Amino acid sequence: MSFSSLLLQQTINGLSLGAMYALLALGFTLIYGILELINFAHFNVFMMGSFLALWVLQGFGLTGQTVILTGLPLIGVLLAALLVTMLGTGVLGVAIERITLRPLRGITGPAAMITTIGVSYVLFNVILLLTSAQTLNFPNPLPQLQWQVHGATVTLPELLIWLVAPLLMAGLWAFVQKSRLGKAMRATAQDPEAARMMGVEVDKVIMTAFFLGSALAGAGGMIFGLYYNFTSFLIGFTAGLRAFTAAVLGGIGNVPGAMVGGFAIGLIEAYSGQFIATEWSDVVIFSILVVVLVFRPAGLFGRLTPSKS
Amino acid sequence: MITRRAAAQLFASTAAAAALGAGPAVAADTKIVVIGVDLPLTGADAQGATRILHGAQLAFDQANDANAVPGVKFKLDVFDNATATAGQYDPAQAATNARRMVADPRLVAAIGPQMSGDGKAQAPILSEGDLATITPASTNPDITNPKFAAEFMPAGKAIYFRTVTTDAYQGPEMTMFMAKKLGVKSVYILDDSGAYGVGLADAFEGQAKKIGMKVMGRDRLDPKNADYTTTLTKIKSLNPQARYYGGVDQAGVKLVKQSYQIIPKMIKGGGDGMVAPEILTAAGFPAAEGWYATIAAPHLVGDPKAQGVIRAYTAKFGIGPDDYALTAYDAGLIIIGAVKTLIAEKKPITKATMRDAIAASKTPTLQGMVSFDKYGDMTSHVVSVYQIREDKSKPLDDMIAQYHYLGPAPQV
Repeated sequence: MSFSSLLLQQTINGLSLGAMYALLALGFTLIYGILELINFAHFNVFMMGSFLALWVLQGFGLTGQTVILTGLPLIGVLLAALLVTMLGTGVLGVAIERITLRPLRGITGPAAMITTIGVSYVLFNVILLLTSAQTLNFPNPLPQLQWQVHGATVTLPELLIWLVAPLLMAGLWAFVQKSRLGKAMRATAQDPEAARMMGVEVDKVIMTAFFLGSALAGAGGMIFGLYYNFTSFLIGFTAGLRAFTAAVLGGIGNVPGAMVGGFAIGLIEAYSGQFIATEWSDVVIFSILVVVLVFRPAGLFGRLTPSKS
Repeated sequence: MITRRAAAQLFASTAAAAALGAGPAVAADTKIVVIGVDLPLTGADAQGATRILHGAQLAFDQANDANAVPGVKFKLDVFDNATATAGQYDPAQAATNARRMVADPRLVAAIGPQMSGDGKAQAPILSEGDLATITPASTNPDITNPKFAAEFMPAGKAIYFRTVTTDAYQGPEMTMFMAKKLGVKSVYILDDSGAYGVGLADAFEGQAKKIGMKVMGRDRLDPKNADYTTTLTKIKSLNPQARYYGGVDQAGVKLVKQSYQIIPKMIKGGGDGMVAPEILTAAGFPAAEGWYATIAAPHLVGDPKAQGVIRAYTAKFGIGPDDYALTAYDAGLIIIGAVKTLIAEKKPITKATMRDAIAASKTPTLQGMVSFDKYGDMTSHVVSVYQIREDKSKPLDDMIAQYHYLGPAPQV
């Protein structure tokens, strides 16, 4: 393998990782932008997403690694699974907000953040007990297609990640920028009091943010399963922490920043594994984060604003 | 998910363990000897641990039924060292169990643990309590290494005996197998950053360097991370003949899967941490096909001399034993033999006398004559090599069908 094809291969690896981190980072950023709340439950909403997708695919009779569907039926099943998963995790996110966070709204201090940690552990332990802590096989219904590009290999799941993740992100971007509810979200993020006085239904805006963020995390969970062909109760933590870092790196609260941050973290992880050592990846990722924050405290794309409280 | 079969097995084993004590009317002059068993019986390790429990239980049931030690009935006291928070074995729980075993005056010897992490937590407590345990599966060499005696043997006497050999042989003998039987001249080594995995990979690496096998690199995987494609791409670019992995199935499942995508043709091997049902069910075929793995004991399941015990085991528990279930049976035989010796010598049966009797024992077992060196390790050190090859006629998680025995590894 020549150096340039090795570099290309690691770039492919890094971009696939990055797309997943970016999807997750968007959820952190959406909710932070509106509530100034770091939602740690997001880690395990992502994990729940992969299990929901697993159960839906199993419901369609897809188990193991054999290809039993092709063409349109396969696309149909995958789209149905994606929809159910996104809807399911979206509703889960809304429920988390409605049941555990709304009663705490207006209370200053870390109570809400600690609550999200608690919710995260509840989800984690429910799946741990349901699965007896086993790692489960995730069906791999995709045909085993791959292409050689300049000595590097691109697989079908990678292509799908690159297609689906940016589509979802673009959809979110368009929604926030163009739609009426999106405008209300931006208004609430800027000044919730003023937005409320102008007739924005703040509760509805917050619910929308939780729904969208959690639905994207669910999509991320399903993509994770299809890409790695396994899932377990543990997958939320590492991916969640990296995605959160991506959101901070890009400037938390900033939607394009979260996308760029996600891809940046994915690439850093791949390159540092190649050129330094795998066990140093986390050190490199978090060192870069610290350095960026020292020179740009609001992240790459964030703007420092006066505190809202 | 707790399957019905697993639940039934657990229930059966608990019931049987209870029945051991409550058995047929015990004569007034019969002495009850209590043996502790400490294993991760729930969570991720439950399947292997339950097989081990059954192996030990069979040895004592047979002794009770045949009245092998006149005037003595054996009773098992079973401890689960897995916790819900860990989802698997939990060294903190193992330490708590060790304290309870030491505190029980009727309990005179123990079998377990399965995991080296538990062993490290238990050894100092057992040493202070002078309670001998025989592990049928834990292979980390540190626990019985005189270099770490202050840590694991503070009271000075050996209390951690084994009916398996240690990773000090499991790693190097696999190096020899790869070099001599597979003709491997260059290797890349990975571990999973756990105590067992790092130790095993170190032992493999040391032997590789000694015999001039080229070590092209060494990397450490984070078992909680999902993505090893970066590391595997690096290995692909270096193109070694083989790749060795020291670690358990948590990282192993992902490694099997992603190795198949990136380095499908490379020779891939691991230790007994890769002998686990999840390798077959979660990683599955074709990804797992061709992997080599080892067991730190002779291949007892295929041994003609063990067939009687295997038949009895299968009849009693409805599922066949694996090798570590049979080394647990051996551990039971050694404890029964020690009790027999003490009675013949008219000595009291206490923790201290049992420890001495086990340390001095020379017991005929399924794996032949077993005796211990002064630190508790077996004087013989056979490592068996297996290769995963799919047998479509058998269930996917039937480990005995899917792991094919290739032979003992060349000894060092």
